[in-house]
Amino acid sequence: MPLEIGVLRRDGRTDPFFDGAAAGRLAVRHCAACDRWLAPDAACCPGCGIEETGWADASGAGTLVTWTTVHGRPAADGTVPPPALLALVELAEGPWLYTRLTGVDAPREGLPLTAVFEHPGEGEAYLLFRPA
Amino acid sequence: MNAAIAGLGMTELGKVYGRSPRRLAADAVRLAAADAGLDLADLDGLIVSHGLGGSPGIELAETLGLRDLRLLTKMDSFGATAGAMVSYAAMSVLSGAATTVACVFADAPLQPQQSSGSAYQRDAREWYGFGGMTAALGLRSVNAYYALAAQRHMARYGTTSEQLGAIAVGTRQWAARNPLAQMREPITLADHQASRWVAEPLHLLDCCLVSNGAIAVIVTGADRAASLARPPVHLWGWGQGHPGHPRERGSGFGLTTGAAVSGPIAMKMAGVTVDDVDVCQLYDCYTYTVLVSLEDYGFCAKGEGGAFAASGALAPGGSLPTNTGGGQLSGYYMWGMTPLSEAVIQARGDGGERQAPANDVLLVSGNGGILDHHSTLILSPHPKGA
Repeated sequence: MPLEIGVLRRDGRTDPFFDGAAAGRLAVRHCAACDRWLAPDAACCPGCGIEETGWADASGAGTLVTWTTVHGRPAADGTVPPPALLALVELAEGPWLYTRLTGVDAPREGLPLTAVFEHPGEGEAYLLFRPA
Repeated sequence: MNAAIAGLGMTELGKVYGRSPRRLAADAVRLAAADAGLDLADLDGLIVSHGLGGSPGIELAETLGLRDLRLLTKMDSFGATAGAMVSYAAMSVLSGAATTVACVFADAPLQPQQSSGSAYQRDAREWYGFGGMTAALGLRSVNAYYALAAQRHMARYGTTSEQLGAIAVGTRQWAARNPLAQMREPITLADHQASRWVAEPLHLLDCCLVSNGAIAVIVTGADRAASLARPPVHLWGWGQGHPGHPRERGSGFGLTTGAAVSGPIAMKMAGVTVDDVDVCQLYDCYTYTVLVSLEDYGFCAKGEGGAFAASGALAPGGSLPTNTGGGQLSGYYMWGMTPLSEAVIQARGDGGERQAPANDVLLVSGNGGILDHHSTLILSPHPKGA
């Protein structure tokens, strides 16, 4: 059981992303004017500065840029929370996402990955990446 | 005319409880003015930088009872702010906009009965929106972001954990010689390797301390500084670099920093090269930032920072004394004021047991955000151009 995630809730800006996640689609920002793909949390398009960029579905294909295994702080009783393998992933369309990896034993730069969604009983779906 | 640092004020640093950041900042400014042999009324400029606490701001002038200021502002580029404050103060002095400017940083993230880690860490059961999503997945502290950067450098250039460890060990050797350092017990490379993982490839001993306290400096004209109480520390050059690593294909995140831009600007202004630098005070929120900064400044080739650090060059007795007070890894964590304060101490020859063998040219770096911002200062005990 990896590092506990908790419950994820949507806020006003994230509905298209979580609607996509619920349906197994990776919705990211896309600026139609610049034909530029951006991370889902991009505040604006660096090409034209527009804040209300549109959304489009990315293919879900990506490659591993870099990674870290994060270890939680030991509790007072000495127990250690389980670690999590986190990463920066470059989507085939170009943007980078901070994410968590699943099923990756030997991370390496350029490892081909694909987006998967976990659907917990409560809260929004989670975006993870597994080996392609 | 040139500008110089005429005063340095440092409060108690570390587990200092019961004083607000605003109070700590006021104390540091008073100490810096007294160090310079000035009255508070002699100050006509004040620049404030705060840490995570969000205080103090420009209301600090009221706390100190400062009147008729010609320059008053708050600056914020995280760990790069100290260098930016000093360069803005110097430019103000050189332009005649002000004559005597205090620059201060204060923070008090530590609480009694709470671990150091919790000061910069978020924990929750429910998470909201995109920020919540990355936090929920496990990106809950700055450690993880710097670990991603360090890992990328390792994968690309073959940098090793032992090479990062050499920086931690050498820095602790310096700290052992500094009465103000919080961590003075010697450590070995084996201790570094055995210290618990925080976020791989970063061990606990790759990470900086968390400290409460405040540090201030007084910037004034070099001529005026020469008439004051302490030897002037001359400002030969300064520069900033904000790489703005895009989160997309082609990003240099983890591989290069704003030192690659701010260093050459500062060194050109100062009329020096890396070969002239006697002492380095590099922003060490992590061992990794020391290593990558050395490369970006040009003390070694890109990708060779690990070997350079492992050679012992940075430690006592090495060819490039670096973070001679124990830095932020072992000394005290006052953001960019840690490297700056130690540079002032070294430039004045006040290093005592840890005084570097030569101090004609000192380089000070500041790093802010997740490698987003960088500042560089070149200091010297000698007047510029003399």
